[in-house]
Amino acid sequence: MPPKAFAHRRAGSPQEAGQWDRRHVLATDLRAVGGRAYPRVTAMARDRSHIVFELGMPFLTTTAFVYVYRALQAPQQYVGFVVLGGAMTAFWLNVVWSMVAQLHWERDQGNLELYFTTPIDIMSILLGMALGGLVLSASRAFVIVVVASVLFGVSFAVTDWALLGGVFLLTLAAMYGLGMVLSSVFLMWGREAWHLSQMLIEPVYFVSGLNFPVGRLGLIGAVAIATIPLAVGLDAMRQLAFAGAQSFGTPPPSIEALILLVMTVVFLGIARFTLRTFERLARQEGRLTMRWQ
Amino acid sequence: MEANWTDPILFFIYSVAKPIASALILIFMLEVIAGPAGRGLRSFVVVGSALWTFVINGIAGLGWSILDDRERYRMLKYLYLSPSDFLTVMLGRAAARIGVGAMGAVITLVVGVVALGVPFDWNRVDFPLLVAAMALGLINVTAIGVAIAAICIQMRQEAWNYPDAFAGALFLVSGAVFPIAVLPHPVQVVALLNPLSWWMAGVREALFPAGPSSIGGASSLYASLTGRMQPGAGEIVLALLVTGAIVTLTAVLAFQASERRAKDRGLLDETTGS
Amino acid sequence: MSATTTPAAIETRSIRRVYKSKPQDVVALHGVDLDVAPGEFFGLLGPNGAGKTTLIKILTTLLLPTAGTAHVFGFDVVDETKQIRRIMNMVTGGEQSGYGMLQVREQLWMFSQFYGLGAREGWRRVDELVDAVGLTDQRRQKVSTLSTGQRQKLNFARGLLNDPWIFFLDEPTLGLDVAAARAVRELVLEWKAAVQGRTVLLTTHYMAEADELCERIAIVDHGRILAIGSPTELKHRVQAESIFRLELDRLDSGAGAVARLPGVVSATTASGDGEGAGDERQTVELNIVLRDDGALGEVVSALGGLGSHILGLRKSEPTLEDVFVELVGRGFEENGLEAGSGSQADKRQGASAATATQPEAADRDEVA
Repeated sequence: MPPKAFAHRRAGSPQEAGQWDRRHVLATDLRAVGGRAYPRVTAMARDRSHIVFELGMPFLTTTAFVYVYRALQAPQQYVGFVVLGGAMTAFWLNVVWSMVAQLHWERDQGNLELYFTTPIDIMSILLGMALGGLVLSASRAFVIVVVASVLFGVSFAVTDWALLGGVFLLTLAAMYGLGMVLSSVFLMWGREAWHLSQMLIEPVYFVSGLNFPVGRLGLIGAVAIATIPLAVGLDAMRQLAFAGAQSFGTPPPSIEALILLVMTVVFLGIARFTLRTFERLARQEGRLTMRWQ
Repeated sequence: MEANWTDPILFFIYSVAKPIASALILIFMLEVIAGPAGRGLRSFVVVGSALWTFVINGIAGLGWSILDDRERYRMLKYLYLSPSDFLTVMLGRAAARIGVGAMGAVITLVVGVVALGVPFDWNRVDFPLLVAAMALGLINVTAIGVAIAAICIQMRQEAWNYPDAFAGALFLVSGAVFPIAVLPHPVQVVALLNPLSWWMAGVREALFPAGPSSIGGASSLYASLTGRMQPGAGEIVLALLVTGAIVTLTAVLAFQASERRAKDRGLLDETTGS
Repeated sequence: MSATTTPAAIETRSIRRVYKSKPQDVVALHGVDLDVAPGEFFGLLGPNGAGKTTLIKILTTLLLPTAGTAHVFGFDVVDETKQIRRIMNMVTGGEQSGYGMLQVREQLWMFSQFYGLGAREGWRRVDELVDAVGLTDQRRQKVSTLSTGQRQKLNFARGLLNDPWIFFLDEPTLGLDVAAARAVRELVLEWKAAVQGRTVLLTTHYMAEADELCERIAIVDHGRILAIGSPTELKHRVQAESIFRLELDRLDSGAGAVARLPGVVSATTASGDGEGAGDERQTVELNIVLRDDGALGEVVSALGGLGSHILGLRKSEPTLEDVFVELVGRGFEENGLEAGSGSQADKRQGASAATATQPEAADRDEVA
């Protein structure tokens, strides 16, 4: 007698089984998000090294920048800028490491071709990776904000909590949207893609005005605000979390929230297009299953 | 394997974009607060940033080699099986990565002098101190890289950013971009035991004699312990030698212990992604 | 098949696939036509580089054909990928995918979510499958610590999570030892037999595996299907010719000299140890395909002239290897084709084989 698992019989015909309604498609995609997030969260729970390397050490890095301002006897508000920047870089690094370079990595591990044999949208996989990593990023950001604020006496002056919360969420949405676009592009490229993700760290930190008001960068800052979610999100949050801080000519937070909203829509739209286009191109060129490029 | 000098993209990323951007973040922090008055400190920041490219490349390079070979190419076990000593192979890779860092350091210094107006005079350079400090400093960078590689052998694939995180934490206690004196005294103890602090101080003293030093200064722990405001060249080299010997020995022992544990637990050919 | 209202499980027409490569493009498939009926266990048998995996990648929507059409249960592999992915699954030999940090159950549950199973339903299905494939004791073991055989069982369980209508198996026993390969084959047969109508497409270069599992087989080489039929039908193609296995004490001149004799279609050698306890003699097994039995006398005389003594002689039934030699005009070993992976049939062939063919057979290869 065959095992029970083998005796299971699907109803209907293959033709019927191949047709799913929209609700079925959406439910499966959402479950896939949870499914892909699961290994990230589980691994985090099992491997406690992240407490040292992902929470402790980044906190020390942020602290180092605090001491730069201390050495310069900067106003206390600037220490707050560093703390905010340190917290937001946690999310940006999650985008870079856990999303942008990840499809390329998954291909090398042989997972990508399995993902593409399942009936889900690849955006679910990317979102799952990001959400799984978000648990760690959020913990890191929380530690930096809370501990650094207490330790260095940072006082936030928030006048519009709703807008601050909205800007924070929109910043995340726009950053992850951009991450999806870049991951699809990197899917087509080989090893260079992974190295290019390195360009998204220090250079992006600089043009985003990490630790200092982006407005001081003049034209470069303006371009960054128009194109990089981290730059516009950080600037808006800086203005909202430290009411009265000099803006150095950047738009008010409400306008920056609007920019983030537009970025979110545009990036997600582009991501949807590029992921489909590049999937087709990758199928054409046999790159979905080609490893170690 | 590690040195892709001929690839212009890689050269630009690792030897130009990353180090210059790191330096510019600090220069702008200086500019925002101190304005023109802070330009005297630019040499301090530029030297610290330039030397930090060695640290980033030396530390991250070795950790990434381990993870790349084990998780991606699945070649770590073959490297291990090759007749060459495993640690020696790793050191070869470190040397190549430090070469990449050297290019970044030179470019950062050149940009500092040419574009940011850092005053530099060849005739005032203390070459013996520069050579001694660089030689000992790079040995220490390599040793720390070996220690991080030892940690990465034990870690899962997501440890990609651990070397960066470790380098970031060292940033606090190396006197790279601010004088150690601003730190609380217990943290200053750690900084003074860190060979990278003496390396930074030595190179600064060699390139910009009589410029601001990362070690010493009024109310610093160094001053209260020695009674002097800042260390001399001989003292810097001696301190670098002693602290470096401790770090190097610790790193080699850590690597050997990690290697044994990896063999014991079958980690050399394990893939661990999540 | 196509005349009925139910579409074929697989239908390809003039499928061609070219890989861009330097110094010249590689043509992996040269216009393949294939029909597999629902419920069939179909095998693609061919050496490495024959185009089997390329075809399976096209059918599993991982690769686009350069030209031609392919349908899986009526769904187009180019434009109806999602529909195909909902009804199929795939297991590849030597598959190392997944996440080493996860336990067996967890890895399977993750994949169950990609097929839309509810969280609890997913765990239930995973537990059933873990038991069914014999990984009960390893259910909480980390994936990275599984043996190759256990890992393939895990892959097999993953492939059954969505209870596929069509199951693609690409060299599923590659790299497995005899026992593990047998276990995987038994699982496939058990799953297939449990519910009527399940379709399996197997690619393999193990002839015994194809012989044992498949109802019909397509022999492929250099991107072309050379013959299709049941194993029995295929063997009947060479039945008209006589096949003899001769055990010789030596054959210094190699099989080539025999192959050139009149009436000999092909001759291959396989070296082996002499049989019997304590018998350490090295012998040579000569497999010859003759146009008719009458040619045997000529061969025996010629062997005497070549200084070989015949230690044993038997007339044997043709194998798929004989079919391949007949079709392609060359043996298995030089093409990566292997006689078996642990089942009885592989004993029929020696560990190493060398083949010589008559000139006209080589010509057929060019034509093919």
